[in-house]
Amino acid sequence: MGTQEDQADGGILVFSEHVETLGELLTLGREFASRLQRPLIAVAVGREAEALLDEALTRGADQVLVVRSLRDDAVVADESIAQALCEAVRASAPPIVVIGATRTGAELAAGAAQRLQVPCASSCITLEIDDAGNLDVDRRVYGGRFVSRQRLTAAPRLVTVPPKRFPKAEKVARAQGSVRELRVELAGPRIRTVSVNPRSRSQVDISKAEVIISAGRGVKRKEDLEQLERVARLLGGVLAGSRPLTGDVDWLPVDRRIGLSGQTVKPNLYIACGISGQIEHIVGMKGARTVVAINNDPKAPIHGEADYSLVGDLYEIVPALIESCEKAKRPPG
Amino acid sequence: MTAAATPSAPSILVCVKFVPDPAQLQADAAGRPDLRQAPFRISTFDENAIEAALRLAAEHGGRAVALSVCAQLPPRDVVLKALAMGVAAVYLIKDEERLARDPLRVATALAAGARAAAARENLARWDLVICGEASADEYNQQVGPRLAAALDLPAITYATNLALNEGVLSAERGIEDRSETLEVSAPALATVGTEINTARMPTVLQIMGAGRKPVIELALSDLAGLDVEQLKAFPAIEVLDVFSPPSARKQVMVKGESADEMVGELLRRLGADGEVTF
Repeated sequence: MGTQEDQADGGILVFSEHVETLGELLTLGREFASRLQRPLIAVAVGREAEALLDEALTRGADQVLVVRSLRDDAVVADESIAQALCEAVRASAPPIVVIGATRTGAELAAGAAQRLQVPCASSCITLEIDDAGNLDVDRRVYGGRFVSRQRLTAAPRLVTVPPKRFPKAEKVARAQGSVRELRVELAGPRIRTVSVNPRSRSQVDISKAEVIISAGRGVKRKEDLEQLERVARLLGGVLAGSRPLTGDVDWLPVDRRIGLSGQTVKPNLYIACGISGQIEHIVGMKGARTVVAINNDPKAPIHGEADYSLVGDLYEIVPALIESCEKAKRPPG
Repeated sequence: MTAAATPSAPSILVCVKFVPDPAQLQADAAGRPDLRQAPFRISTFDENAIEAALRLAAEHGGRAVALSVCAQLPPRDVVLKALAMGVAAVYLIKDEERLARDPLRVATALAAGARAAAARENLARWDLVICGEASADEYNQQVGPRLAAALDLPAITYATNLALNEGVLSAERGIEDRSETLEVSAPALATVGTEINTARMPTVLQIMGAGRKPVIELALSDLAGLDVEQLKAFPAIEVLDVFSPPSARKQVMVKGESADEMVGELLRRLGADGEVTF
């Protein structure tokens, strides 16, 4: 390995402010740690620091780096966490740093990377270390229609990885990781949190659904969703939506959003209704076994992501689908 | 333009990226994006950023100015669109050597560009900087928070609502499992997506009429406070290839004379695959 690499003699650093995601990053982190024969280090900081520490030890981290403020005040603001991450990287000379690409994680990674004056590869879908120690990653660009293969040559190689990209690391029989404390000077946060409001929750967990009917901008009125809800019921599935329907308008609760800013789903059957297929959405439904796209625009990118494409009017196809399903379900005679 | 920007008349900088329209981008014979044939546009979320800036400027008697770093000058009609939407001026930082090719370098260049634009506008500072949460082409989600770090501004990312009151910016921030109500004293930076507003669409007449507004071109290498050598020396992120991934999907066009026929064919195929059973 090159000289730059020689200075990065620390462990593989992983961080997510989200406990579940940290468990997943430990899987990838362990792979890198084994390959480079380095320890696997998880950073624990923020509101969930205790839970992160626990999760990391339980799932086999060799060390947990707990970052605290010199003045011992709680490190909870994103601004402070980005600084803390930056100091954790400076203190541990990691060859690779993996951060969970939640929305908050994306912000923290970018803020820390700018302070460190290093690049960062965002939302990597595949990551591989070559024989020279370079980290090659694939990420989706141009609305998900192309993949950009990028190479990070110099340590620290910062990357972010979307939640649910990897399975969680196995729990170890007996946690053997050490805990190290890092005390750093942190400037006081400038942003005040006035209130935190949990999102309204649906009764269904779309990430576990076997069949998903997904609605996009092609649906013209909120009441039209009832038709799609009917299709979902007939096929034993649930109704979900793309970002426009769960954000720009609140026709569906946000926990039914599929995509980069929502959930990642792996149903057996996924029927995209009036969804154009932007990267934001594709990222969340790539793992579906069979994909059907109904869209009147033959050029919509969703068709490239579908097994079966129906180019036509949603408002003709959906009623026909309901009728066919009802007919098929009706007992003969 | 008066020298002092008071909190009641905010100076707002909106960062814009001009991108080949991903919706119209095709692969060439080798499976690479054919960038020559895709028309340029203002990156989607940046249109929302412009809209957010314009609304705040209009409400408080302020002024919104756009800033972009570009390796090649965008087509004039696309620049005019930003002006026609209502920004008072567009600053284009020309990067002919393509030095600003990753978010680290773009944010560093934008920070210098923001300072240069403020100086030319006789402003001591920008009260508010607004960016789209990600670009439509690269989708790194990095430049906003990086620019905040480079300008030492507090950042509110993924804002779904922005309001200014007596120099205090209040925002709703939408993340996975919750929304947050945040407050910060100006100056500050915010990133926005499509949730925050519907961007106005200027008419062709408005676009033609925007030609009188100033477009200020500055060379990246001439920006005060930007060390071009440092920009070159930053660690690199190399793009090895950009390609159209082979699809694992069947990509079957389900045909039919009518909706009924298409649906019948679809259900027959899904039945054969074992995905539907009645």
